[in-house]
Amino acid sequence: MTADSPDPAHARTPPDPPASAGTPESPGPAATPGSGGAPHPSAAGPAPAATRRRSPGRVAFALLLPGLLALLLTYALPLVWVLRMSLNEAEDGGVIRQTLSVATFTHVLGSSHYWNVIGQTLELGVLVTLCTLVVSYPVALFLARTTSRWRSLLVALAVAPLLISSVARTFGWMAILGTQGVVNKTLDGLGLTDTPLHLANNLTGVVIASTEIYMPFAILAMISGFGRLDPALEHAAAALGAPRRTVFRRIVLPLTLPGVLTAALLVFVLSLSGYVTPRLIGGGRVFVLATEIYDEAITALNWPVAAVLSVLLLAVFGVVISLYLWAQKALEARFTGPGEARS
Amino acid sequence: MADAPARTPSAPAAPAGDTPSPEGSAAHLVLDGLVKTYPGKDGAAVRGVDLAVERGRMLAVLGPSGCGKSTTLRMIAGLVEPTAGRVRVGGRDITDAPVHRRDMGVVFQSYALFPHLDVARNVAFGLEMRKTPKADLKRKVAEALELVRLGHLAGRRIAQLSGGQQQRVALARALVVEPAVLLLDEPLSNLDAQLRAAMRDEICRIQRETGVTTVFVTHDQQEALSMADRVAVMNHGRIEQTGSPEDIYERPARSFVARFVGRANLLPGTAEGQDGDHTLVALDGLGRVPAAGEPVARGGTATVMLRPHRIALSPAAGGTGAVRGTVLSAGYAGETVAYRVRVGDDGPLLDVERPTGTQEPFGPGAEVELTWDHAAPRLVSDEDGDSEGSR
Ligand SMILES: Nc1ncnc2c1ncn2[C@@H]1O[C@H](COP(=O)(O)OP(=O)(O)O)[C@@H](O)[C@H]1O
Ligand SMILES: [Mg+2]
Repeated sequence: MTADSPDPAHARTPPDPPASAGTPESPGPAATPGSGGAPHPSAAGPAPAATRRRSPGRVAFALLLPGLLALLLTYALPLVWVLRMSLNEAEDGGVIRQTLSVATFTHVLGSSHYWNVIGQTLELGVLVTLCTLVVSYPVALFLARTTSRWRSLLVALAVAPLLISSVARTFGWMAILGTQGVVNKTLDGLGLTDTPLHLANNLTGVVIASTEIYMPFAILAMISGFGRLDPALEHAAAALGAPRRTVFRRIVLPLTLPGVLTAALLVFVLSLSGYVTPRLIGGGRVFVLATEIYDEAITALNWPVAAVLSVLLLAVFGVVISLYLWAQKALEARFTGPGEARS
Repeated sequence: MADAPARTPSAPAAPAGDTPSPEGSAAHLVLDGLVKTYPGKDGAAVRGVDLAVERGRMLAVLGPSGCGKSTTLRMIAGLVEPTAGRVRVGGRDITDAPVHRRDMGVVFQSYALFPHLDVARNVAFGLEMRKTPKADLKRKVAEALELVRLGHLAGRRIAQLSGGQQQRVALARALVVEPAVLLLDEPLSNLDAQLRAAMRDEICRIQRETGVTTVFVTHDQQEALSMADRVAVMNHGRIEQTGSPEDIYERPARSFVARFVGRANLLPGTAEGQDGDHTLVALDGLGRVPAAGEPVARGGTATVMLRPHRIALSPAAGGTGAVRGTVLSAGYAGETVAYRVRVGDDGPLLDVERPTGTQEPFGPGAEVELTWDHAAPRLVSDEDGDSEGSR
């Protein structure tokens, strides 16, 4: 250890006040042996320095290689295969004609049925995202702010539904929302309704069930995105004269927006590709891209159309993620970006 | 701030409502028996704090970490609800007023600046809450930033500021609303040593210029002594002593204060009677020492405090009657040398601090004579804060 250049900041440190009278060892230079001059770069010795000189990029690449290979096999290759398939044409009886044409694309894009499917997929995505955010935000805000010692347990509870398969949870919602379900039986029993409410086999039911199913994801995403929320900021705002509502509007909401945005992206994307809930609760009346792709590929054996729909779904994802990145950047600029001149 | 000269620190105008304090001057902020017990914790964090701060003055609450300083400050601000006791400002009881109606300027230890607003909008926040007209608002924000010398950084983001600049923004934000009381929680603890000295002067200047009644909390005795008009030393949730910085340092009432503020030799002995306004105390190895301070009845145990720098050393001569000792160690510290001296053969150990450059330093083993002036030994009470109400 280099002891020749004692750090001036340490040398001038006044003795700890409470220890001044009692302890015989005065906190002299000997008390801080390791804190003298900064370690010299060359002190590391030649051997480790040589190791470090080996390009860190190559090491990183070697570490990434298994993951990259796995992605290539399970993601990139199938994607190429889907793209290739979308350029084929289908004939009656499940025969696929190998071509390189956009005929299937023109067929799909020229059909109002498929446009309806795309529209309903987006509508479902937007509705589910809005509902999930509204229900999850208060829960996430509470969990992020509470100082209770039960906090970890409560977070675990909020996420616990993920332990149950979404198929099982969807069946649960069918039992609740169906014509003979809990809700309708109760309303009927109370004499509040004559005819059962249509809560299942339509978009309403799918939105309700999906909201519950995606809540844990939204809550997790929000909690991890609420990092900037410091109780001292709320105290400062209150001390400056802000009533609670204003503190929420001016401080809490803007600071939690990045977390909300991440949750929104997650839920929207999950809901766009969701298959189980629209299929089971939709009762064959809710057509979204995921169910449509399944039907084309498995029932109609029309793989080219299924591939085209998959490509369209990917395109929607691309647009959504671009929007998210743009919004994220805009938000980030408000925190750190170059301050614009104030008017 | 140019528009706040009404409050001058030198001539507190004592408007109606200020509580007359025993000294005859007006106390602007009064804490009356404040107690705080946090739920689920046994023992109170604050155990009956009485304090009075005169209008326009600066009070330092000084105490070790965990003694309840922040809790006290937060009770004044309204961020913590007192278990018992009252808070009065200008004669008005604000104990039950919500935080946002208290009109306190608070500077938090972490500064708590709003990261999504720029410097000017941080400072403007309190004015916006007060519905200040736009033109006034702009002028006041500019003045407040000028006061803390940050006018050129109005458009900066908080993330782009250094620690010292953030501290100034926090000050400007708290002061721009012309609060009744300014509260600072360990305002300098997040700054490095050099900046700390600069901000210490800066806070004093700003406080003088605005004349705002100020309470600041610190665990740093130098900060408290050098900045405040009055210092309240706190320990275990109680005020041990309140007084001017000189009072606290020269005339500590209790051994805790003597030990916590500066360095002190604390010597136990027995009172042997009065000599004028001094009490004669028989000290082990030092003989009979007259000590000033609250008298102790004959035969009672007494503790005498002797500051290390008040003890002079000279080479042992043949004379009798002088206190003799042996230097055990000598620690050179630039401006001073810190000695440990054994009095007699098996007497008490004394810390002695001598300035360098006035005499040849003594080495370990040197035989020395110890002398001090008449006023140096002080009687301090040894009572724990538990046994008696705090002053
Ligand atoms: N919110 C709280 N809940 C429970 N205990 C607390 C809380 N805040 C402070 N305390 C306790 O109260 C005591 C005093 O704390 P504090 O006022 O922060 O001391 P200081 O500011 O002097 O370091 C400490 O023992 C601390 O652990
Ligand atoms: Mg504190």
